[in-house]
Amino acid sequence: MGRPGGKGRPVDLLVERFRKGAPGAFEAIVRAHQDRVYSFCARMLSDREDALDAAQEVFLSAWRNLSEFRGEAALSTWLLRIAANRCLNRIRRRKSLSVHEAPWPELSGETDDAIIFQPAGGEADRPDRLAENCEMGEILTKALSRIDPGSRWMVLLSDVEGFSYEEIATLADVPVGTVKSRLHRARMAMRRLLSPVA
Amino acid sequence: MDTMDCRQARNLLSDFQDGTMEAAAATGLAAHLRGCGECASADASLHAVRELLRELPPDPAPPELFASVLAAVEAEDGNARPGSTPGGADGTRPFLSRFRVLLEASVAVLLVASVYWYQRTPAPVSHSTSVLSSNLSPEAGTVSSSRPMAAKEDAAKSSPSVIRLPRETPKEAKEEVPAAPRPRTWTAESLPSVPALRASTDSERIVPVAPSRLLRPLPYGRDIVVDVNPERSEGAEERIAEAASRLGGIVERIERESDSERNGAAGTIRVILPDAAAAGFIEELRRIGNVPKEYLPSEIDIPAGPRPGTVAYAVRIRVR
Repeated sequence: MGRPGGKGRPVDLLVERFRKGAPGAFEAIVRAHQDRVYSFCARMLSDREDALDAAQEVFLSAWRNLSEFRGEAALSTWLLRIAANRCLNRIRRRKSLSVHEAPWPELSGETDDAIIFQPAGGEADRPDRLAENCEMGEILTKALSRIDPGSRWMVLLSDVEGFSYEEIATLADVPVGTVKSRLHRARMAMRRLLSPVA
Repeated sequence: MDTMDCRQARNLLSDFQDGTMEAAAATGLAAHLRGCGECASADASLHAVRELLRELPPDPAPPELFASVLAAVEAEDGNARPGSTPGGADGTRPFLSRFRVLLEASVAVLLVASVYWYQRTPAPVSHSTSVLSSNLSPEAGTVSSSRPMAAKEDAAKSSPSVIRLPRETPKEAKEEVPAAPRPRTWTAESLPSVPALRASTDSERIVPVAPSRLLRPLPYGRDIVVDVNPERSEGAEERIAEAASRLGGIVERIERESDSERNGAAGTIRVILPDAAAAGFIEELRRIGNVPKEYLPSEIDIPAGPRPGTVAYAVRIRVR
């Protein structure tokens, strides 16, 4: 089921069914990817309604353009690319970031006091132990919301979604080295925000 | 030998963890980390952050997302030119499936309506009844309620010149109908069944099988029984109503049982209270009479009232 011209990646079965006009194929695509797309939008935008609107735009755009999807990447990757663009556009459109965004710390400084989590020390509070705690997801999401949106989407795509630096560089239209350095600064900012968890 | 300072080392940590550094630089950084506790700690915590992010699960999408996506696509699909293929070879086909339930329901309603209309139509000439009865095959004579139309079609095939569906040949049927209405002589077995409603062939009225739900009492409220002594039963309703009012509640109505329907009960008071006053109300009831143990607040799940923050009770006074 691979597509000629692609890189050997089998085209998503649901995409094939959609192209053939199979009933319910698009609904199945939405169901299969809505959690991932919505999570990405919610973490990018830190606003539930905005995230819902953005996720809806992503799937609507997918519906319009699925015929042009060539299968060079996984469908989820394609959808997340659309989501990243939509979210960045929304962030740019926001008149005042203070309405929606908590201020994020200076990435270059090492002395900020924006620590958002202060557990008691000890073996049980090691990050790998705390990861088992259901609150960790909320803590990470909160920390992500305090990262500069220009770097946040890179962290989300790279460290959460597993995009390569090259893919992100293509999306951002910047050199790979720039992606790496921005990612590193954002990760270090996350480390400080989560200190002493991590 | 450590030739790297901490600032240089920390800037290289991501590359080091990715394994994309040149061998010599990686060796130098590794040496620095072995000798610098702070940078080693930063390396470990950065690694932990990346691990945590990698394992961060997606949040479940709100249910309204799916509905809003389909609505948006449907709206766009409706605006698209006929036969357009926005996403696939036949972009409109997948969306027809979304209307399947609606279409099936519409067909069912039309079927029921047509059967009902068929029944309301005055009977054709009287001999048709006998012909209908005599010409029906055994299978058609035992009409299955699940396939009434199929049975009618079978019957129509067996005597096409006599049995006509008024919908198909209204003009001819009208000619055959006598001027004066004749009483129906069809048997109930020969009529198609009508689901959900019972059709009366005599009066041509649809008789609901049960009273409308709108006429039934509201489903909220918890029944509470208060046993009062006969000598204290006089005015018990008023005392309960007063207690409810004092606690900030309202009295919906007081139902006094007639002597014939009393059956040990003097009356029922329906009250709505702020949920914070529920426990106090039970205490008031216990001053008026005896509330059986099973109705004590600690042993009942206090029901919600008709509005948030309220509880509703139907207090039944039992004289004993």
